[in-house]
Amino acid sequence: MAMVLVPEQKVILCGEYGVGKSSIFRRFTNNTFVTATDRKSTLGLDNFDKIYRIGDKDIKLQLWDTGGMERVASITSSYYKFSEAAILVFSLDNPSSFHTLSQHLLDIVTYAETAKIFLCGNKTDLVTDPPQISDAEIESFCEQCQSLITNTYRISCRTNEGIEEMFTDIAYQLVNSNRARLELQSMEKHGFKITQSNEELTEEGCLC
Amino acid sequence: MDEEYDAIVLGTGLKECIISGMLSVSGKKVLHVDRNKYYGGESASICPLEELFSKFGAPAPDESYGRGRDWNVDLIPKFLMANGSLVKLLIHTGVTRYLEFKSVEGSYVYKGGKIAKVPVDQKEALASDLMGMFEKRRFRNFLIYVQDFQQEDPKTWKDFDPNTQNMTALYEKFGLDKNTQDFTGHALALYRDDDYLNRPALETINRIKLYSDSLAKYGKSPYLYPMYGLGELPQGFARLSAIYGGTYMLDKPIDEIVLGEGGKVVGVRSGNEIAKCKQVYCDPTYVPDRVRKKGKVVRCICLLDHPIPNTKDALSTQIIIPQKQVGRNSDIYVSLVSYTHQVAAKGWFIGMVSTTVETDNPENEIKPGLDLLGAIRQKFVSVSDYYEPTDDGLESQIFISQTYDATSHFESTCMDVLDIFKRGTGEAFDISKIKRDLEDEEQ
Repeated sequence: MAMVLVPEQKVILCGEYGVGKSSIFRRFTNNTFVTATDRKSTLGLDNFDKIYRIGDKDIKLQLWDTGGMERVASITSSYYKFSEAAILVFSLDNPSSFHTLSQHLLDIVTYAETAKIFLCGNKTDLVTDPPQISDAEIESFCEQCQSLITNTYRISCRTNEGIEEMFTDIAYQLVNSNRARLELQSMEKHGFKITQSNEELTEEGCLC
Repeated sequence: MDEEYDAIVLGTGLKECIISGMLSVSGKKVLHVDRNKYYGGESASICPLEELFSKFGAPAPDESYGRGRDWNVDLIPKFLMANGSLVKLLIHTGVTRYLEFKSVEGSYVYKGGKIAKVPVDQKEALASDLMGMFEKRRFRNFLIYVQDFQQEDPKTWKDFDPNTQNMTALYEKFGLDKNTQDFTGHALALYRDDDYLNRPALETINRIKLYSDSLAKYGKSPYLYPMYGLGELPQGFARLSAIYGGTYMLDKPIDEIVLGEGGKVVGVRSGNEIAKCKQVYCDPTYVPDRVRKKGKVVRCICLLDHPIPNTKDALSTQIIIPQKQVGRNSDIYVSLVSYTHQVAAKGWFIGMVSTTVETDNPENEIKPGLDLLGAIRQKFVSVSDYYEPTDDGLESQIFISQTYDATSHFESTCMDVLDIFKRGTGEAFDISKIKRDLEDEEQ
């Protein structure tokens, strides 16, 4: 049975509580936006897959949200494991969410060493004149991080500005950087996922 | 913290995390607190290696140990039975998607100072050097009986009543000698002592079936081990709880469990803050006045730069030393994991020897296990008490888990969790409920 496997890439959202990670997640999953913090709308929703076509290649981005663990506690280290990309989110109208980025960056490089990191300023709709966080500050942050940050985006979950473009670009960056690796991917280095076996599924099917 | 919850869970060990996840999934409002800065309590995997050395007061590891961050060392060694309860819980809750596993390569049993592969099917039984020629045939007949045995179909019981007759009687029926009984009871049915001999045979038959069904799942051995160590398990269930609305707080000391009328819990106090709740679920360390000491476990973490001798260079192994082989009342367990599981730097292995303490020289008790490991580069011995609750929680609404025991797998862990859940909620955990939710999500 020949089957073309679409490579699945785990992409995680990181950043302070309240910068709009779940809003990005909601835009990604069903392209909606809610103003108030309404945790119920993502309750039970764990991660979401979407396929992007880059040139002649398909790539599946699997986006993960934190589940709000960072509100009071820290995120578990296992959240970062097996991720290929991390979107480091801050809020353009909230300088403190920008100034704590380095801590989140450290977590990413510690627990997901090989993940590509993308910087994302959310809430462009709330930027004042002059901006709360200047372009120069953002540039200098990226310089300090040397080559750790692959690309930077400015988006608004409220207006939907720049979101699709961001994910398409992330997919593009992953396809390009991983081209060689994806083709060589072997089971040897990896473990396997446990799933319900086909046999059990048929047994259950018979009960209906 | 000053809010009202249906349940407050104290401690983020595996049992508490599973309970927290199950409660959140059932729609309860849960606050989950740990006094430590990290998730997992005793079920955490220690990273980096420097932290393990300092935890045991040893000087920092030298360069030969590679990068400290490449190590994730479990404090409590256990494997998952591929067809066991924890795997079922992982599948039904969807927590399996956070984890990757590897099959444990070898399963051995100790006999007369040497180790031999545990024989599980007819072919292996006949090839095994654990038994003489005639005994092999008897053992093979016994295995066939167990394989064909169906609890629902008395015809497969073959004139033996597994509900009333004990295991000794079943061994006698097949004429198995003491030696064969020993590895069957301890390396296949995974009993820690010999009490099972006098209990109805059904229990043991089911345990042997669990072993062989687990083996059939992924080959090599019936055991699985998660990449990055066992500490990934509590974290996975914690995420499940958070995804379903559970609130997490770490580094939060608990000063008092506040009781109301009739000794029933009404909240939990940390400093000046009180979180109100209807129920508390916790490990024994949070309620020293509601638990009693049941015994002691000795565990020795051994860092090796080679596999265990005579295991065909397996990168992961379990060896069971049945009690009688070394004149004890409880078995000694040896387990090995390695760099292939991302728990050690390249070329390194982590051996673990553990048993229930019987004398006042626990370190000497595990010597037969240590002797199997070959040269040990570094070892850390710990002796810890294990506790069981004296309060069943029905009045106080405080539900306490038992400390992790010396067993080599998670079956007793899951039984404790399901029992606590049932006492706490008055109903058995409905796994079909989550499954439906997960299917909805996929649509």
